[in-house]
Amino acid sequence: MKPTAYPRFGKGVKLRHEGNGSIMLLIPEGALVLNASAAAALELVDGTRPLAEIIAAVAEQFDVTADRAGEDLSELFERLEQRGLVQ
Amino acid sequence: MNAQLRPLSLLCELTYRCNLQCPYCYNPLDLRAYRDELTTGQWSSVLQAAADLGVIQAHFSGGEPTLRPDLVALVEAAAACGLYTNLITQGTFLDDELLDRLVDGGLNHVQISIQAPQAPLADRIAGAIVHDKKADALRRVLTRDVALTLNCVLHRLNHDSIEEVIDYAQRLGIRRLELANVQFYGWAYRNRGALMPTLEQVRHGEDVVAAARERLRGSMEIVYVLPDYFGDFPKPCMNGWGRQFITVTPNGYALPCPAAAGITTLAFENVRDRALGEIWCDSASFVRYRGTDWMPEPCRSCERRELDWGGCRCQAYLITGDPGVTDPACSLSPDHAAIASLREETSGAEPVYRRA
Ligand SMILES: C[S@@+](CC[C@H](N)C(=O)[O-])C[C@H]1O[C@@H](n2cnc3c(N)ncnc32)[C@H](O)[C@@H]1O
Ligand code: SF4
Ligand code: SF4
Repeated sequence: MKPTAYPRFGKGVKLRHEGNGSIMLLIPEGALVLNASAAAALELVDGTRPLAEIIAAVAEQFDVTADRAGEDLSELFERLEQRGLVQ
Repeated sequence: MNAQLRPLSLLCELTYRCNLQCPYCYNPLDLRAYRDELTTGQWSSVLQAAADLGVIQAHFSGGEPTLRPDLVALVEAAAACGLYTNLITQGTFLDDELLDRLVDGGLNHVQISIQAPQAPLADRIAGAIVHDKKADALRRVLTRDVALTLNCVLHRLNHDSIEEVIDYAQRLGIRRLELANVQFYGWAYRNRGALMPTLEQVRHGEDVVAAARERLRGSMEIVYVLPDYFGDFPKPCMNGWGRQFITVTPNGYALPCPAAAGITTLAFENVRDRALGEIWCDSASFVRYRGTDWMPEPCRSCERRELDWGGCRCQAYLITGDPGVTDPACSLSPDHAAIASLREETSGAEPVYRRA
């Protein structure tokens, strides 16, 4: 997925906030437990923000370089796109 | 009980009524015993109780769940509790109006089953002329904001069409396909002689699925549910008895697995008499085979015991009469020879259609 893409969730995919503060991604026939930075990134997915902006926001929130955050998150978005969970 | 154990999934079997008669149906044989169905209000309480226990997904199945006039209301009730909602249907009643109401009500996912990829065979298996209607239902779902899985149960009568099932899904633009080898419970167990796939069919199926996964990577996900009687180790049935799943039958019995009602040595409890949370935590029926303490040898000292949890209790019961032994599907089970003889029981018997 390119940094200029505007990711949005595939059909039947949604975030769920647990009582203990953790966040899961609910998908057809399953659920993925998210780490903190993945959760922060996916909370910004709504089809109106380019991936680059999401990466920058997460980098700032977790106080890491944009390159570092970009590497991790590009891979996450790539995997989710492969499975049709993010478009 | 172990406070950490949290059920993740609730299967609401809203009714066992159905307009089809699939001989592979895992529903129980004594369908008439389930006619006293829970009311809308009772189901809504069950959904809330499940959400309170930590359940994240509600599956609406049956029988044919679209025969319940309150299906939309129940989807809305589940969504209002924050549950992910999944409708499991054969699709013959999914017209535009019902589908719109379901999606507006918060339905997240629909699974539609076909009996075979082509009309004469599919209709023969279903015992009704319905196949062509299903393609319409599938197309309708694809145009809406709800996820879709196409399901086809495989058995000896349709296994040779596995490639055509994949083509059928591809032509329609389906992104998720579940090819489930028949599991032998209920009517399927009764019809095992007619439904048991041959070894060649099973192996061929594996090859076809592997090739299709390669070819369709990124455009279609294929889930292949292995047949029970052909492996060396059993499936991790329900991910362990009473660990993640609750099924509620049309008349309100809470079960650790949809086939469990067949185990007559256990007394199951009803949500009409006792709160779902108490049943989950304390009912003897849920506690009996939970974890590993109940296990006899060879499971007790086996290193796979927390991988497959000793296999399936219902299968152990159906085949040996004792739900507390190692699943005979396991090659280490002293009863494993029984599986081999069942596997070879590919009689030419005509299947008996499911009926009340
Ligand atoms: C019992 S059906 C009820 C829902 C609906 N009537 C239908 O058939 O789609 C639930 C799901 O289990 C599948 N199924 C039925 N009998 C089965 C069996 N013996 N083994 C595996 N899957 C089965 C169906 O194809 C369907 O996807
Ligand atoms: S599997 Fe067939 S007979 Fe059983 S409930 Fe579904 S459609 Fe009806
Ligand atoms: S002996 Fe029991 S635990 Fe070991 S593989 Fe067989 S069923 Fe699983």
